[in-house]
Amino acid sequence: MEIGEERTAGVLVIAPVGRVDSVSSSELERHVVARLDAGERRVVIDMAGVEYISSAGLRVLLIAAKRLKPPAGSLVLCGLGPAVRTVLELAGFISLFAVEPARAQALARLEAKTSS
Amino acid sequence: MSTLHLRVEPRDGEPFRHEVRGDAVVLGRSSKADIVLADRFLSRQHARLVLREGSWFLEDLGSRNTTFLNDRPVAQPMPVRPGDVIRLAESRIVIAEAGDELPAQSAGDGLTGDTDERLPESTVFRSAGDLLAGPAAGGGLAAHMRLINEVHRALAAPITLEALLDLILERVFVQLQPEEGAVFLRDEKGELKRAALRRAHGITGEPLYSRRLAQEVTEKGVAALVTDASADARFAKAESILFSGVRSLLAAPLLDSEGCLGMIVLSAKSRQHPFQEDDLELLMALASAAALRLRNIALAEETARRRLLDRELDLAHDIQMAMLPKAFPHLGGIDVSAVLRPARSVGGDLYDVMADGERVWLLVGDVSGKGVGAALFMAVTKTLFRAIAPGSASVAEAVARMNRELARDNDRAMFVTVFAARLDLATGELEYVNAGHNPTYRLESGGGVTPLPGPVDPALGAVDMHAYRGSRLRLAPRDALLLYTDGVIEARSASEEEFCTQRLESYLLACGEASAQLIVQGLLEKLDDFVGDAPQYDDVTILALRFLGPS
Repeated sequence: MEIGEERTAGVLVIAPVGRVDSVSSSELERHVVARLDAGERRVVIDMAGVEYISSAGLRVLLIAAKRLKPPAGSLVLCGLGPAVRTVLELAGFISLFAVEPARAQALARLEAKTSS
Repeated sequence: MSTLHLRVEPRDGEPFRHEVRGDAVVLGRSSKADIVLADRFLSRQHARLVLREGSWFLEDLGSRNTTFLNDRPVAQPMPVRPGDVIRLAESRIVIAEAGDELPAQSAGDGLTGDTDERLPESTVFRSAGDLLAGPAAGGGLAAHMRLINEVHRALAAPITLEALLDLILERVFVQLQPEEGAVFLRDEKGELKRAALRRAHGITGEPLYSRRLAQEVTEKGVAALVTDASADARFAKAESILFSGVRSLLAAPLLDSEGCLGMIVLSAKSRQHPFQEDDLELLMALASAAALRLRNIALAEETARRRLLDRELDLAHDIQMAMLPKAFPHLGGIDVSAVLRPARSVGGDLYDVMADGERVWLLVGDVSGKGVGAALFMAVTKTLFRAIAPGSASVAEAVARMNRELARDNDRAMFVTVFAARLDLATGELEYVNAGHNPTYRLESGGGVTPLPGPVDPALGAVDMHAYRGSRLRLAPRDALLLYTDGVIEARSASEEEFCTQRLESYLLACGEASAQLIVQGLLEKLDDFVGDAPQYDDVTILALRFLGPS
């Protein structure tokens, strides 16, 4: 699994690419936790490159959501493909996340939050 | 070489270093000697080292027991050079070089030097196969056969690794009289480590063997014989062997059909005769007998470790299975059957059926992840259900309380999907909550099979405060429910095809009014047929309940 990153106007975008299964999810977990430990508070996780996510992968998203719970921070998910969206829905998790269709909207949502 | 460096090894006492600054040094028992050796077989002034025209010579001073240089008696002054060994009665003096302050430090494995170090010219390598195949030459044959026979007999008895290595070295010492012997074994990382060491009486210090030699022997699987290291001028600098005065050396790989386990190496400093080729044959024969047994012991130890772990997991499996109700005789008005089949020894699936007055609680769940962590979370979930559900006003309230407990201090964000329900046995009213779980099927007595409708709320443990929404419907007499985990629909065949909800639904349609037990067992058989010899990836849980009508 590859993990892409982009930073714009105080927002960190983390973009995993590939399958987030029981093996690769620990890599993603280390990556995300390291960024949060470093003080990142406004984060977008762009799932456009993820074709599959297991329950272990869902845990990583939950860990990020817990630590970025407002007002401490904010997390937006975007780019959910049908497979990833279905897994989130089946576990009842879709309502726990702020979700936007694509990265541009996700960034706009976080930037709007800053200016308000 | 004007300054002479000596390593003195007295018969009694610790070896020490001596640097000769003048142009002569007298060795003897007398206190007037320059180097005093407390050895009663020495003459008072036994021998002398003198510098003549830039070279050092050894001469005997008319001693009673003569002086030996490299085991040859010194009749007239003889030149000495680094690596030479002077023997006076039972004391030894090794000629060292200025740079050789101390033997090279070993990395703790008993080996030293670089792997590109050159070996003495007198080194002979012989293939292990040739040595084992060829008939032993010379008159030592009978003695050799006796020794090999003896070792084979000893090896047949149960023995620990340490005892085996000691035994091999002991027998070798009796037969070949080396001064030092060591066995090196590969560790788990494949690196050679000294596993046993034996020294002849009176030999002190830690022998270090050439890493280069060890590499040759163990990687190529050849036996090595060094007859006279000191005869090789280039090798004089190879302090690993030479510094401690080793002249002659034997090394044999510990080979079996699967490869090389290590090596056994013997060395001699002042041995009367250097090792011979038939010594090498004998050592090789012993080494191969030992190697077979070593492999057996290693396998036995590995098996014992695995057995211990298996026992632990078996125990955990039994404890986990004991948490699940097997029979439900105390419940009137319903027919229930359930099965849980973990993919590993322990798993993260769970189910429960619990009477609560005129009502009965049902639970099926699936913890994220697998293995011991999931099993512990499963046990906590099951315990919470038992503690919280009875007396709760509603299923939604019970599930919300379970969720609060599971989410507390849950930094790893473990979660468990559950389907929880409560059936009123008097009315057939079913109240249920789906927390991220597969929908339960209703098998209507009239023949329809439908997933229970209703919202899906988050799996338990994910977020600490969350309201859970309950749904209700009324079961008709003879209606049945099927609760399951995704191990059922995601079961994979050898061709990686999934069982899927379609196969599950068509099976359920065919069930009619079969008993709960038949529904469960029939589904298990369907799954087994489908999966065939493919491995089970996920825990499988199936719970069937038929409502028999108002009690």
